[in-house]
Amino acid sequence: MEFDEIKDALLSEVDTGLKFANSLDKAAEFEIYLYYRSKSNVEIKQGVVEATDGIVAGTAVRATRDQKLSFASSSGISSNHVKRALQDAISSLNATSEKDTRFKGFCEPKPPGKEGKFAPEILELTTDDLVGYSLQLIGNMTKANGRLLAAVGCEKTWGGFAIGNSLGLQQASTSAHNACSAFAMAIDGEERRTGSEELVTRDKALDVSGIGEKAAEKALSLLGAKKLGQTTTLPTLWVPWAAASYILSSLQQATKGSTVVEGLSPLREKQGEKIAHPDFSLVDDGQNPLGIETEAIDGEGHPQGRTVIVRNGMLKSFIFDSYYGRIAGKASTGNCARSGGPFGSRLPYEDAPSIFSKNLEVAAGKQSEEELIASIDGQGLLITDIPIGIFHSSVETGEFSAVASSVFLIEDGEKKRPLEPVSIAGNFYKGLEQLLGVGNNIEITSLFVTTPSLLIDGISVTG
Amino acid sequence: MLEKLQAAVSLGEKLGADFVEARFDDLTLRTLRRIKTKKDDTWKDIMLKSRTGTGITCYFDGTPGYSFTASEDLKDIEETVTRAYGMAKAASTAATLKLDFDRRPAVKSRSSDSLSVKIHPRSKGQDYKMDLINRMVDTAFDVGKEIENITGAYGELTGQKLFTNSEASIIEWEFLLVDMMCRVTSKASSGALVFGSERNAGSLGLEAYNRKGSTPEEVGKKAAMFAAEQIQAKSCPAGKFVTLIDNDLAGVLAHESFGHLSEADFVTMGASPLAGKIGNKLGTKYATIVDGGNPDIQKEGGMWLPFDDQGIRANMTTILDRGILKHYLHNRGTAQQLEQEPTGNCRAVHFGFMPIPRMTNTYFKPGDLTEEEALEQLGTGIYAIQTSGGQVEGDGSFLFKADRGYWVEHGEIQHPILEVSLSGNILELLQHIKGATRDIGLWGSYFGGCGKFGQYPLPAGIGGPKLLIQNVTFGGKV
Repeated sequence: MEFDEIKDALLSEVDTGLKFANSLDKAAEFEIYLYYRSKSNVEIKQGVVEATDGIVAGTAVRATRDQKLSFASSSGISSNHVKRALQDAISSLNATSEKDTRFKGFCEPKPPGKEGKFAPEILELTTDDLVGYSLQLIGNMTKANGRLLAAVGCEKTWGGFAIGNSLGLQQASTSAHNACSAFAMAIDGEERRTGSEELVTRDKALDVSGIGEKAAEKALSLLGAKKLGQTTTLPTLWVPWAAASYILSSLQQATKGSTVVEGLSPLREKQGEKIAHPDFSLVDDGQNPLGIETEAIDGEGHPQGRTVIVRNGMLKSFIFDSYYGRIAGKASTGNCARSGGPFGSRLPYEDAPSIFSKNLEVAAGKQSEEELIASIDGQGLLITDIPIGIFHSSVETGEFSAVASSVFLIEDGEKKRPLEPVSIAGNFYKGLEQLLGVGNNIEITSLFVTTPSLLIDGISVTG
Repeated sequence: MLEKLQAAVSLGEKLGADFVEARFDDLTLRTLRRIKTKKDDTWKDIMLKSRTGTGITCYFDGTPGYSFTASEDLKDIEETVTRAYGMAKAASTAATLKLDFDRRPAVKSRSSDSLSVKIHPRSKGQDYKMDLINRMVDTAFDVGKEIENITGAYGELTGQKLFTNSEASIIEWEFLLVDMMCRVTSKASSGALVFGSERNAGSLGLEAYNRKGSTPEEVGKKAAMFAAEQIQAKSCPAGKFVTLIDNDLAGVLAHESFGHLSEADFVTMGASPLAGKIGNKLGTKYATIVDGGNPDIQKEGGMWLPFDDQGIRANMTTILDRGILKHYLHNRGTAQQLEQEPTGNCRAVHFGFMPIPRMTNTYFKPGDLTEEEALEQLGTGIYAIQTSGGQVEGDGSFLFKADRGYWVEHGEIQHPILEVSLSGNILELLQHIKGATRDIGLWGSYFGGCGKFGQYPLPAGIGGPKLLIQNVTFGGKV
């Protein structure tokens, strides 16, 4: 299927499927979701090359009758796949008397939002181009130091999805993006230090210049690391990549309408209250034209939108889909996802609709990273990559405990020597209250969080 | 379908591939989830998923190209072969390290390669499984304190895996994995939320949920009691302590902290600190770590994986033998490159991914201590229990999370502690293992799994005995 044909082809199958569904069970209501995406990627790891090119295509169906709700999925988007998913959903419905009493129906039809930027040149990228970009990444990385271990990858992906339901909703959205990543390991005797850099864009074809070099520089700059040699509490400056992991592990989880409604969010009763430093503001923008997660509609067909989550430290809003929005008495914010976020499944049609942010954006502060470093009296830590284990935190407690393996000592307002891995621990939400500063160095990350550096006080450190 | 796979292999060879592998998955996944809160009690997920698809790997000049399709039409499968061959050929121009492998005799599977259980999940309807959750959640509700949320879930992954290749191997076996878990969230008097969880998962028949200690009622009760205990728990102090880690944590240590570093793709890259260290003594005599797809399921639990996704029959690989590094975990190419035997570790999460070196069931071998003896030897320190995962970096730095635990003084449990992380460098930690208990327990997960290079979640067998370790860094509150 060509890119231009996706919407019409998927919508046609959705329409046929809904008519077939009605013929199977007139008393039930249905939702049909079809997904089609081409993925090509090349990876080079120390001279070993692996290349993949394939089409991910699948069908998801939800059926409801008498407040019972079932889900079925099938690999493929042919009429037979749609029929199989419909029949499985109906058989699940028939096999139970258990109800989801909170379910009040599928998404109501609304005009779609806007799709993000589209660069036709992304579709033109060939396997040879991906191989060429990968070699360029390695060349740029190893010219800094020939003894670096290098692993790189380049990817292009394009496709779309369509949704229809018994309420008359029938919408589709398409997108394309390309991405590259570079991972460097610097080795000196038994010492191994790593650095990585990634780029993902939807508005232009790949430009890998600078990516390999940055990964190499990061790894090399950490060689010669010494132990911190103490257990104490210090202010920590999280550069944008690290700060993005902090936001994704904390506010992304705790402001989802599902965790709020299910009683799992520590912020569930704090709407309208101050939860962070006044310089901190957070928006989820599913309509940013450059955002990788920007689509015209979300995972249930609702237009994607823009939600102010935190403004000047005040918790303003949670993010919702139709299901949890109705329970909470709020409108959907267009945040229904099928396996959303940076770690989403390759087969998203297999996942039930859930809530996930689209493109989170922390507003820029006033201070440069250098000024934030200079503002630290005594000692502090500069965390320059995603701490190990940061994503293994539990949303309920907000307690985190991770290892910063890419970390420098800050002393008397200056960045000093690299440190051996340092254990860092604290509470995500207390950390936001103890924010000392927000940088002006906004960066777009492939965690789908755009953020500047964040200076957070009161973090327990051991190393 | 076998004929179509064989036709795919022939086409790949005709195009010019040196070797072709074709596999077909016909799997069914079922997820059932009930959520009970203070306000609501609802069935959130009643899901049935059909996952069918074909994956083709073509090798050209020691370089793999991979493609996949959900279509079962021969024409689409042939296009998939063409794409895989095209990717291999294009990629080979950039490869400076070629991972060729020699041909071997054809492998034919037997009916005994599929696990036989008394109550196969396929033989029971949806209501039977929903009743398991109801019994679990209702018991947790009765037992728990200050409950904010109880989530009870059941998952199963069953179905056929079919494989053939240029050696004319014909392998057919049935995948089986069930998982029943309960997570209880309670509210402490401070307003903070705490949780407790329990699960029983692996390649099991549903008769496993009739056994004493593993019934839905007991799983729900344990989760609720663990959460209730956390209400009174204290923060774990930060610093270095002697610790006894339970079977779950020992499993994550074996898997996350050591197992990934023994995966041979990291070794051939030179990225693993285990590269070039075969024969070196890395740990104490209590550190024996094995990996294999054919554990004694009846006795130990775990996951049944009789073949990997390259058609290699499972065996039990001793990676670390009483502290000495013996073997890596391979695909066919890395095995030949590093002059070892293939180990049956080439796996893909599903047909959408190229198989790569992954673990099967990875665990420490048991020792001879009882739990009481281990606590006595511990003296004063931390008994760390259960986990929500962990991670390792290429330099051996690791972190894993203990969900709960106890502060121990003079071999006696004093009070419960809150969730805490354990961290360090695996190569140092292996030298601090001072003993292992004689009990062993393995499990495999439907909910969650292992992640590597974007391939997530791969069901993997995890577990082991309890381990006594000195000098472990706990990253708690200062």
